[in-house]
Amino acid sequence: MSQPVLSIVGVSKSFRQGRTSLKVLDGITLEVGEEFVAILGPSGCGKTTLLRIIAGLERPDEGQIVIHSKEPRVGFIFQFPTLLPWLTVVDNVALPLRANGMGWEEARERARKYLSLVGLQAFEDFYPRELSGGMKQRVNIARALAVEPIILLMDEPFSNLDPLTAEALRTEILDLWTLKVTSVRAIVMVTHNVDEAIFMADKLVILTPRPARVRGVIEVGLPRPRDRRSAEFQKLEDKVYELLSA
Amino acid sequence: MLPPLLVAALASTLRMLSAYVLSVLTALVAGVAMARSRAVESVLLPVLDILQSIPILGFFPAALLFFVSALPRGWGQEVAAVFLIFTSQVWNLIFGVYSSVKSLDPSLFDMAKVYRMGRAATFFYVCVPAARNSLIANSLISWAGGWFFLTSSEVISMGSEEYRLVGLGTYIVEAFERGDTVSFGLGMAVLVSIIMATYLLVWNAAAQQALGRRLPSLGPAYEALRDLVSKLWGALGDALVGLSSRLRVPRYAWRAVGAALAAYLAAELALLISGSGGLGAGGLLPTLAAVLAALPVSLARVAAVVALSAALSLAAAYACYRSERAGPAVILAGEVLASIPAILWWPLLAGLAARRPYGPYVVSGVIFLQGSLWYLFFNLMVYGLASLRREVEEMASVYRVRGWWYLRCVFVPFLMPSLAAGALSAWGGAWNASIAAEYVDLGGQAIDLGGVGALMSKLASSGDYAGVTASALLLSLTIVLFNKTFWRRLFKYVEERYGGEVE
Repeated sequence: MSQPVLSIVGVSKSFRQGRTSLKVLDGITLEVGEEFVAILGPSGCGKTTLLRIIAGLERPDEGQIVIHSKEPRVGFIFQFPTLLPWLTVVDNVALPLRANGMGWEEARERARKYLSLVGLQAFEDFYPRELSGGMKQRVNIARALAVEPIILLMDEPFSNLDPLTAEALRTEILDLWTLKVTSVRAIVMVTHNVDEAIFMADKLVILTPRPARVRGVIEVGLPRPRDRRSAEFQKLEDKVYELLSA
Repeated sequence: MLPPLLVAALASTLRMLSAYVLSVLTALVAGVAMARSRAVESVLLPVLDILQSIPILGFFPAALLFFVSALPRGWGQEVAAVFLIFTSQVWNLIFGVYSSVKSLDPSLFDMAKVYRMGRAATFFYVCVPAARNSLIANSLISWAGGWFFLTSSEVISMGSEEYRLVGLGTYIVEAFERGDTVSFGLGMAVLVSIIMATYLLVWNAAAQQALGRRLPSLGPAYEALRDLVSKLWGALGDALVGLSSRLRVPRYAWRAVGAALAAYLAAELALLISGSGGLGAGGLLPTLAAVLAALPVSLARVAAVVALSAALSLAAAYACYRSERAGPAVILAGEVLASIPAILWWPLLAGLAARRPYGPYVVSGVIFLQGSLWYLFFNLMVYGLASLRREVEEMASVYRVRGWWYLRCVFVPFLMPSLAAGALSAWGGAWNASIAAEYVDLGGQAIDLGGVGALMSKLASSGDYAGVTASALLLSLTIVLFNKTFWRRLFKYVEERYGGEVE
């Protein structure tokens, strides 16, 4: 394996519901190198919680997250675009940069660069409400890339798009990843779509139902672009479903 | 030399403006802090709940004493006046900011956290824009509330001493006392023009643009003002965001600032109470007993006023709703009437009060209505009418549900939630107005209608601050008791029965 980018060490997390405490993550340990990892699991198993812990949105009860970099920046592609309706597209992308000390002009310049990477250079002065769902999700992606993160986290990023738009965006993300035009060295994607995970990722991590533990790790190892109808793809798919339903 | 009337008008407008700016800034900081921090919320929410429904005028002598003694002469009264106007504007603004930030999609705050936006950037780019519309809607009410208290803040008697600040309120009251009808009329005309101009040029235009409500307004001036304000605000935000990204204030520093602020306020409050003579002092018991004895009559008046306000507001809302042409006129008339200062009604209606035996009651009723009607009126106009659904109107017209049945089964039920919210504010407002409505001293000719308000007015003008503060506290306690029992139940009922979406 290449050198590690992210280490998840013995992470556990419980949520309190009234008087009872509900354990969602139970001792998750995972090494992520310079690779694309998809986390799969039954719905409600705590996949998203794990992603939120990696992003620093929540603290684990036990264990820790180590990002092996001097500048441990992360980009987060939210399930919904979460754009601020009162800012233009370019300002939405530039805001995280500005808030961290960059001047507006420099921040907008960088934002434009990443907007053109996702094909939105012509829409920089539009407001979010003027864009389609797919375009808004592209802004979400541009914002995540513009902070020049070393880890890109994605929370079911294609689940709220129509099938055609979702497929186009999957290919675009894969192109950006394989061509290595961004600062991203590792991607962690949470999904419940098995087909999408095998199509995109280098490595699949399958979690158990709540409380989530790591049930299995599968290296995909198929050459890209992947053919969903190939025998190897189908075989892998069967194997994943078997692990998920076990 | 500028003519005195112009100076007075400028001074009053400036006073209003500074109080308003102070109110908006306070509302933003307090509202956002409440919505974002559970600790701040658990402390401030009940405190504000009490503050907004207590008779502020009753506490005014104590606050005035505090400012006058703490600040150099001349400044004390000025600051006290701005403070009184502030207290009449700020509460609904705070609640507006609080509820709009609280109802924001929480994933926006996740976004801000993931990208380490920090408090300043989250405040300026996420919270404040989200609160903008509710600030505008509430400003319609607050601006009128401020004018309503203007004269009370400019002409203040403290025992034997009387302070008069330069301003329109003082100008009009003095003209009346001299019997100078021309100056009196001129002063009133200038006052009404300023009020109308600010509504037409600023508030209504803002509400029309931001909320899409059709209100009488003139646009261009507002657009220039809006651009100026957003430029200033943008520059301020940019400077603070730039600064905080370089400083990276740690978490505990914010907590320390918050704790220090809370400690300071508590200390000031303690000082205020001890400064006003101490609550445990002897001689207060008879006063408190008198307050208790006077409560029922005031309570009956306040209840009647709230009921009348609700009926009048519903009628106005229905007129507005039925007629495209009457609507704007009704709203503008409401805005001007709502803004006419409380104690100006006495001189305006003095003739009536003196000539007829029931005169004083009519005048008192007008002042009571002034203090409470408008909360209901604006709540229905701004929020209530907006909640009527087009589909339901179409349904009603298809099935010919008209007249009484339309009112009973469609119109009033849809307005119920905003009617209840407005009624609660109107109830607090009526108690506050009782101090000005039940007793007035018009150049030696005193009209005393009895009740808690009259009692407190008399205590204030005789310089018994301990008595005023103690009775204001007792009255506040009673009001809060009602809020927690009667109003809470009413809200629950209205929420369950009328709060749902159209299925």
